[in-house]
Formats: sequence, structure tokens, C-alpha cells
Amino acid sequence: MATNGSVPTVTIRIQRFNPDVDKKPYLQEFQVKAPPGKTILDALHEIKEEQDGSLTFRRSCRHAICGSCAMNVNGRHMLVCDAPLREHLDRKGVLTLRPLAYLPIIKDLVVDRSSFWEQYLRVKPWLIPPENIPEKEFRMSPAEVAALRDAEHCIMCGACYSSCQIIALTKQYIGPHALLKAFLRVLDPRDSAPAERLADLDRGDGVYRCHTIFNCIDACPKNLNPTEAIETLRKLVIKRQAFEAARAERQRRLDQPIEIVGETPALSGGE
Amino acid sequence: MYRSTGFIAFVLRRLTGVALVIYLLLHIWVIGGINSGAETFNDRMEFLGKPFFRLLEIGLLAAVVYHGVDGIRLLIGHYFQVTEYRRGLFYAVIVVSGILVIAGGVPILLFALEG
Repeated sequence: MATNGSVPTVTIRIQRFNPDVDKKPYLQEFQVKAPPGKTILDALHEIKEEQDGSLTFRRSCRHAICGSCAMNVNGRHMLVCDAPLREHLDRKGVLTLRPLAYLPIIKDLVVDRSSFWEQYLRVKPWLIPPENIPEKEFRMSPAEVAALRDAEHCIMCGACYSSCQIIALTKQYIGPHALLKAFLRVLDPRDSAPAERLADLDRGDGVYRCHTIFNCIDACPKNLNPTEAIETLRKLVIKRQAFEAARAERQRRLDQPIEIVGETPALSGGE
Repeated sequence: MYRSTGFIAFVLRRLTGVALVIYLLLHIWVIGGINSGAETFNDRMEFLGKPFFRLLEIGLLAAVVYHGVDGIRLLIGHYFQVTEYRRGLFYAVIVVSGILVIAGGVPILLFALEG
């Protein structure tokens, strides 16, 4: 990290690839200033505006919630919009940016996520409501919400998908993102087709294809746990009929007041 | 390639698995020699009695031990919620495997050196 006055200058190596011109991807170096608080996305914008307008990358919200700007920074997947530039330099003070792995590159840091979305749709990510929809509201207990283990916080950035070693070998595998979504729907008391969903996952390219490598947990920028979700699904797949029967019983009481055992953070005034 | 302890464990598990399959084929070839008579069997056993193959048995022990202990790690992962300790579990597998391979490998080495 060379200092120019009080603001240091850092080297960013970016993997470039233009399918019209290049035969294979190559690394190009850029120099940018790194004042405190500057994110990697800020640096990418600066390079695009001031040094090379042909640099291509995806970004949208800049608040780590749209999932567009997931890419590989020094070997780790992350959302570059909330990643401070200075904190992610390697030992030599260099930052290496590559597109998400194991996916076809469209240009520079933009990858083709078609297989990601195809697998996502395979698990029917929408809620299938019961026939007796309550007039007012569905009622879920804090324990039922907690059981979903924050799975609804997934922003579909693709970091887990493109870190999964099985995805590297075959795109037939559903993938951790879709399995996490399936977990969310299966465990949701409002969903009325858990057995059907679980039957779809009971295949060689479903839950059993996961080799428990844990890369999805390491890669997730939202600290979610797809591996644990997959383990839960594996257990439920075996007893799906009993699970569906219990779900039908539970749905008879969806509009009834929830019986709460013990005090919850929400009832005691929040965390 | 997304490098992590899980990835290293996955690759080692694959490599040791393939090594064990190759060993199994070799094992069947040697034991199957008895079908062609005692002489063939003895020839094959003599061929494998060379110091090189005796030393290779340390590699076989390492493959068996790592593959087995890593399998236990996976089972723990399947039955208990231990994803938080995934790195520690991998290092534990390496340490336990290392101790077992040294404990078993030293006698094999001494036996091989004795000729």
C-alpha cells in the first residue's frame, strides 16, 4: 500500500474477459486511492469512470440487500458494496477481484446465472397456502419463526451457489440457495404441500448430492447456514408423510391464538 | 476454486477413496491368485513382499485412517448441529489421523526395513 500524501494508493487486480476479443480471462492492474471508508464497489466505480470505461460489473442497491455485486475478492465471495477496500487487501497490499466461480462469464465480472435461477424455480419458491385461509391473519409462534433460522434473509446473491464444489462438477444439483429456500417453505406452518416439496428433493441431484463441504456457509455474506438447512431437509425427507399429517393438523389452528411457552424477546420488549 | 477446510477435506476424501478402490483391486488380484494354484498365489505374494510395497502399506494405512476418521466427522455433521465448529472438526480429523498413522506406521516401517 503506497502512500500518496496522506491517502494511500492500492493496487487492484481485476479479471478481465471480453468474449468478442479475448480467448481466455486475464488480470489487469489498476491503481486507486484508498481513503478510509471507501468500499470495493466505490473503487470499481472510480476505475470505470476515470480509468477504463469498458470495465463491466453488476451492482444496484449499494446497501448489501440486492445481491447484485457478489464477487470473489482475494479468494473469498462477498458483496463488494459493503466491503471496505482497506480491510480486504492481501499481505502484499493487493486486491484481486474475480467473477463468481464455476459460472460462465458474460464479460469481466458479470457471470451468467441462468442455472442458478433455473434451479431456484425447481423448488417452487413460492408459498402454497392452505384451502382454509384465515380471514384475518396467519398466526405463527416465535418458536416456529425461529425454526426457519433466518432463511428468509437470503438475498439470492449466488455466493453459496458459486462456492459449492458440487456445482463445479454438475449444474444438475439443485444448489444450496434453492435448498435453503425449500427449507424455508417446508418449515413454514402456512405452507400446505411440504410432502410434495420433500418428494421433489428426495433424488440423487436433490438433498443427497450435498457432500457437506460447508463452503456455502463460508461464502454467505448474510451468515446463513444452508448446510444445516440441507441436513434438516434430509431428515424430513424420510418422514415426509408424518410431517405432512402434522402440518395439516397445525393448519387447522392457523387463525387461533398461539400458546406461548416461556418468555420471548419480543414479549419482554425486544432484544 | 473456492478453498476452505471443507474443500481440502472433500479432495482428500476423494483421493483416499480412489486409492482404496485401487488397493482393493490389487488385493483381489493377489487373493484371487489362489484360484490358479498355490504357486501363482505365492508368486504374487512374493512380488508384493518387496520393501517398496511394504513402505506403500504406510500410505494404505494413512488412506484407510483418514477416510474412516473423516467419515466419522461427516456423520457427526449429519446427526448434530456442529456447522459452527466445522474448521475445528477438520483439524481434529487431521490430528487424530496423524497420531494413528504414526502409531501404526512406525511398526510397519521397522518391519519393512528389517526386510
